[in-house]
Amino acid sequence: MTSNVIGLFHDPESALTAAGQLKGAGFESLEIMSPVPIHGVEEVLGKKKSVIKNFTFMGALIGGISGFALAAGTAIAWPHPVGGRPIITMPPFLIITYELTILFGILATVLGFFISSRLPAFRNRVYVPESAVDKFVVTAPCDDAEHFKRAEAILNDAGAEQVREIGESDL
Amino acid sequence: MTTETFKLGYNDIHDDVVRSIVKTGPKYYIALATAGGVTLLCFFFPWSYQLYYGIGAAGMNHPGVWGTYLASFIFWIGLSHSGTLLSCVLHLTNSSWRKAMYRSAEAMTLFSLVVAATYVMVHVGRPWFIHWAVPYPNQMELWPNFRSPLLFDVMAIATYITGSTIFIYMGSIPDFAAVRDRTSGWRNTMYTLLSLGWRGTDKEWHRLHWAYTFLAVLIIPLAVSVHSIVSWDFAMSIVPSLHQTIFAPYFVVGAIYSGTAGIVTVMFVLRKTMGFEQYITKLHFDNLGKLLLVLSLIWTYINGVELFTAWYSGTSEEYEALGYKLFGYYAWLYWEMILFCAVAPMLMFSTRFRTSFVPMLILSIAINIGMYTERFLIVATSLSRQYLPDAWGTYVPSPVEISIMVGSFALFTTLFLIFVKIFPSVSMYEVKETMATPKMEPAAPAAGSPA
Repeated sequence: MTSNVIGLFHDPESALTAAGQLKGAGFESLEIMSPVPIHGVEEVLGKKKSVIKNFTFMGALIGGISGFALAAGTAIAWPHPVGGRPIITMPPFLIITYELTILFGILATVLGFFISSRLPAFRNRVYVPESAVDKFVVTAPCDDAEHFKRAEAILNDAGAEQVREIGESDL
Repeated sequence: MTTETFKLGYNDIHDDVVRSIVKTGPKYYIALATAGGVTLLCFFFPWSYQLYYGIGAAGMNHPGVWGTYLASFIFWIGLSHSGTLLSCVLHLTNSSWRKAMYRSAEAMTLFSLVVAATYVMVHVGRPWFIHWAVPYPNQMELWPNFRSPLLFDVMAIATYITGSTIFIYMGSIPDFAAVRDRTSGWRNTMYTLLSLGWRGTDKEWHRLHWAYTFLAVLIIPLAVSVHSIVSWDFAMSIVPSLHQTIFAPYFVVGAIYSGTAGIVTVMFVLRKTMGFEQYITKLHFDNLGKLLLVLSLIWTYINGVELFTAWYSGTSEEYEALGYKLFGYYAWLYWEMILFCAVAPMLMFSTRFRTSFVPMLILSIAINIGMYTERFLIVATSLSRQYLPDAWGTYVPSPVEISIMVGSFALFTTLFLIFVKIFPSVSMYEVKETMATPKMEPAAPAAGSPA
């Protein structure tokens, strides 16, 4: 049976130490839940890369192209000649391009955020409400009781205030 | 700003902010009922009258075909400029003093924009045709003219409302999650949905940080473009005193100026009424005061440039417009604006003034009165003196216009009052970040009972 070991810490440093030791002991899929972003997680749990920037860039690019296409396409489909000036007038059309670049960039960033952070997620997942207030929580899935014992020992050594077990049935 | 400012623990912040949402006294309901009532009576009632009677209910007529509706529209768009823009700039420059106040500043942006958008509806006279301004395929084969600054406006403001809404929402997700755990009943359902299942894992924080940073980077140029475009509604006409290249920076600086003054006003009120004395401090007023001072100097300079350009043009119509602005029918308003926006802010050279709450409140309100006047003058003086002397005339707002102007402030207040009960108006996780992280020591007892 799979269960999750949960260690509650009072301060971020001990939580990070505990996470590092768990990782060293071969535990995988560690998560640290905290009320504030903690600095130094990447040193312990490995470098994080997010795909959000790709979304932002692609969104902005598509927005720019479609903005210009919208303005220029309208001008070509309904020509409005003014004193022999060009039908596709750059300065005003670039403003439309600019605005749509930003609009699509923003929307794509949100999409990228949702996809890369796996949100929204309304199913039950491992969660400790105290972590939203003032506790730093380290969680790791354990395969069996022996696994759990080892994790519990590591967490307690690192100074956990409390160690809990959340099984699949408790979710 | 770390431990010295905040003698509180993580828990206290949590309790204070949750309390500000769930504990509602009779004063709040009285305020909400008053603001809502004034909105109905002064905003929606005259507007309905105008819709029934026709746009003639407003005092606009040739040559003054733009009036307080347009002036108010610029004013509200301007007021919206500080919140999100300031928040983005301060986020990117890692200014930690931003953290206690940015949420309500962003809310100000959002609601100013809502009021401004409503003003567009009032101004156009026949709001049921407003969708004609949006490019969409239709059987009338009607497409907007993409060379018109009015269409730039539609695009810019739609993008800006979308961006500001997303920005304030993204920054609030962790706080919604924190409030979710402390509430019950319909509030719990609402915050569960709003928080999207946020758990505060290392991965989620990392993603939020990057998404938030990218949004900030996108919104700064957007905000600058929005008010530049609003200025082109005027500057791209050939009306003397409006047809100036300085107009875009003039509007952007004016917008940030009045927006920052608006933030000072809102901070003062929040601090007093919501019990946020520990979070919104002298430091914030001092910093905002310095910013206001700089903006006031830039604004004064640009006003000088505007006058100089008119004089240097050497054309009779620009001379006429200049003389009319300084000494004509509306001159008293001009000098009132100079007093409130260029002279009075000099008081902020004094640190003692910047760190005194009530004087800063009075000054911030004075600045916004001056800035409203500025927008009114841009519209009214220029149209009163165009090329042909037989087309000269003056514009005076009708009671309907004045009432709607008063009502718009009540509308803003109503929206803001609803906001403070739904959004945590101080960003919990970011205020926690400015505090020293907890050190190894005997733990305090766990969080209090659910509210």
